[in-house]
Amino acid sequence: MRAFRSLSPWLVSALLLAACGGGDPSVPGSGSPSGAPTTKGTFTAVVSFGDSLSDIGTYAPATSLAGAAGTPPFFGGKFTTNETSNGLPDANPLGKVWVENLATSLGIVVTPAQVGFGASSVMCPAAANPAFATTCTAYGQGGSRVTDPNGIGHSGGALTVPMVTQIANHLTRFTSFKSSDLILVYGGNNDVFAQFGAFAATAAAIQGNPALTADQANLQLFAAQQTAEAAMKVAAQELVADIKTQILAKGGTYVAVMTLSDIGDTPFGNSLPPTAKPVLTALSQVFNLWLRDGLTGQPVQIIDTFTLFKDGYANPAKFGIVNNTVPACDVAKIQAITGGAVTDGSSLFCNATPGAPYNGLRTGADVNTWQFADSVHPTTGGHKIISDTFAAQLKSFGWN
Amino acid sequence: MKTNSSLALAAAFALGCGVAQADDNVFKVGVTRYDTHSKTNGISGIGVPPGADAVTNDATTVIFVYERLFTPQVGLEFVLGIPPTIKAKATGSVAFLGDNVLSAKNVAPTVLLNYHFFSPGDTWRPYIGAGINYTHFSNVKSSLAPDVKMGNSTGLAVQAGINYAITKDIGLFASIAKINVKSKVVATSATVLTTTVDFRPIVYSAGLSYQF
Repeated sequence: MRAFRSLSPWLVSALLLAACGGGDPSVPGSGSPSGAPTTKGTFTAVVSFGDSLSDIGTYAPATSLAGAAGTPPFFGGKFTTNETSNGLPDANPLGKVWVENLATSLGIVVTPAQVGFGASSVMCPAAANPAFATTCTAYGQGGSRVTDPNGIGHSGGALTVPMVTQIANHLTRFTSFKSSDLILVYGGNNDVFAQFGAFAATAAAIQGNPALTADQANLQLFAAQQTAEAAMKVAAQELVADIKTQILAKGGTYVAVMTLSDIGDTPFGNSLPPTAKPVLTALSQVFNLWLRDGLTGQPVQIIDTFTLFKDGYANPAKFGIVNNTVPACDVAKIQAITGGAVTDGSSLFCNATPGAPYNGLRTGADVNTWQFADSVHPTTGGHKIISDTFAAQLKSFGWN
Repeated sequence: MKTNSSLALAAAFALGCGVAQADDNVFKVGVTRYDTHSKTNGISGIGVPPGADAVTNDATTVIFVYERLFTPQVGLEFVLGIPPTIKAKATGSVAFLGDNVLSAKNVAPTVLLNYHFFSPGDTWRPYIGAGINYTHFSNVKSSLAPDVKMGNSTGLAVQAGINYAITKDIGLFASIAKINVKSKVVATSATVLTTTVDFRPIVYSAGLSYQF
């Protein structure tokens, strides 16, 4: 037994050394980006990728006052409380979305990267005037998803160019990103809507099946939620991969990536049954988790709209908002103005020009003190809160 | 635990290099009931409904014990069991997820410094001990997530037991021990679930001993 005796202290010491190691397992998504610039940028362009929140007029021709011709003037075209516009940059603050506000505050002109609807669209229409040839860097389009070209409204004629293609289109036109580009990546909302829609359809089928026990139904609902969340994880990871290989590796220097806000905090979210709303919220959170996880250690800045907008929604008065529950646009008026074509009150067709015959505002609504134009999109005032918030974030990064 | 571990290690060496006499080694083999009384801090993660929780099951295994006596009263004991599988079932608002949401084998070596009452040669010799348990979880699996990790645990262990001498060398033993075992669980699928499980085990053991 000598060997055993002399071995025992070593067993003990090995055991105790092992006890010193280990520790808690790491939690995905708990890291942060690092290495983004900390100095003031000399910006000459605002390059924005995203969806309807960042869309500065892609679908304006669908709202032509000339009828089907698709020519200016347009009574709508942005997902907010619109002004009557000829489609060119102007100083009228009505109907501006956050991308335009932010660009204006930096002294930069930004125009849509693509304008059109259905089969007919034009890339960089502002280039018709050579002075504006490099301004068409607002790529966001209503309905766009991260990678899926079949976005929300695509079958109805919306272009819904996905974000990865938006980024590819920028590289096609400008070859690379520049250190003088302020690059804003804010999308994934339509992936949430698509996945939530699929979940809601499955959930309705499960809940309508009398053969299931409560536990069986709960298990199937759980699985449906997991499926939707898994798709959001994929979308976030695809966006991250594109940011790394197509933006950062192609010269992108000042890159801000937005998380998704809680869509539960909108008139649409509040219309949902209490059991469904947390599922919607979780889809944004899952996207944000994997966005953050994928961007850990990357030289970008994250603007966490989930936290920032939650504060705004909980404290509307702090931002001059008196109504954050009722859409400012009137469903019935928009239906009448569009000859019955638009029945969901989409703010794309909502004009707020005082006295105009095609004004679609709800009686008593105020585009500056009401937050929402329709069930999900902000008013002019709502967009100003977003651009003010983002400008403050950029300032905190030392970028402006 | 670094300081504690090093101190215990130093103590182990100091004592282990001390006097060696006849009949100062004890080898035991026994059956152990690992009776958990687990509590968690709740399961948190995106999409997890409030009130989601889990509770661990009990396990039975075989243990091997080696004790080296430095004096007739004081000995250092090393305990290692065949790693049993501990399972957890979902409770609370997610009870519908079923009885096996997490399983892991726990490799749980324990070192205890024992004090034996009475004298060598007495038929009945009660003892008490205190020391350190280290628990490593292996084969961690979950029906909910393809990737599950559990943190290692280092905690205090205390025990009370009794030896019954059948002959000079062979006897029976029975003991009861309380161990602090806590582990952080991180389960990753589409989302990330985390919880910290405090297993709060009471360990009942009984078996044969051989002194040589």
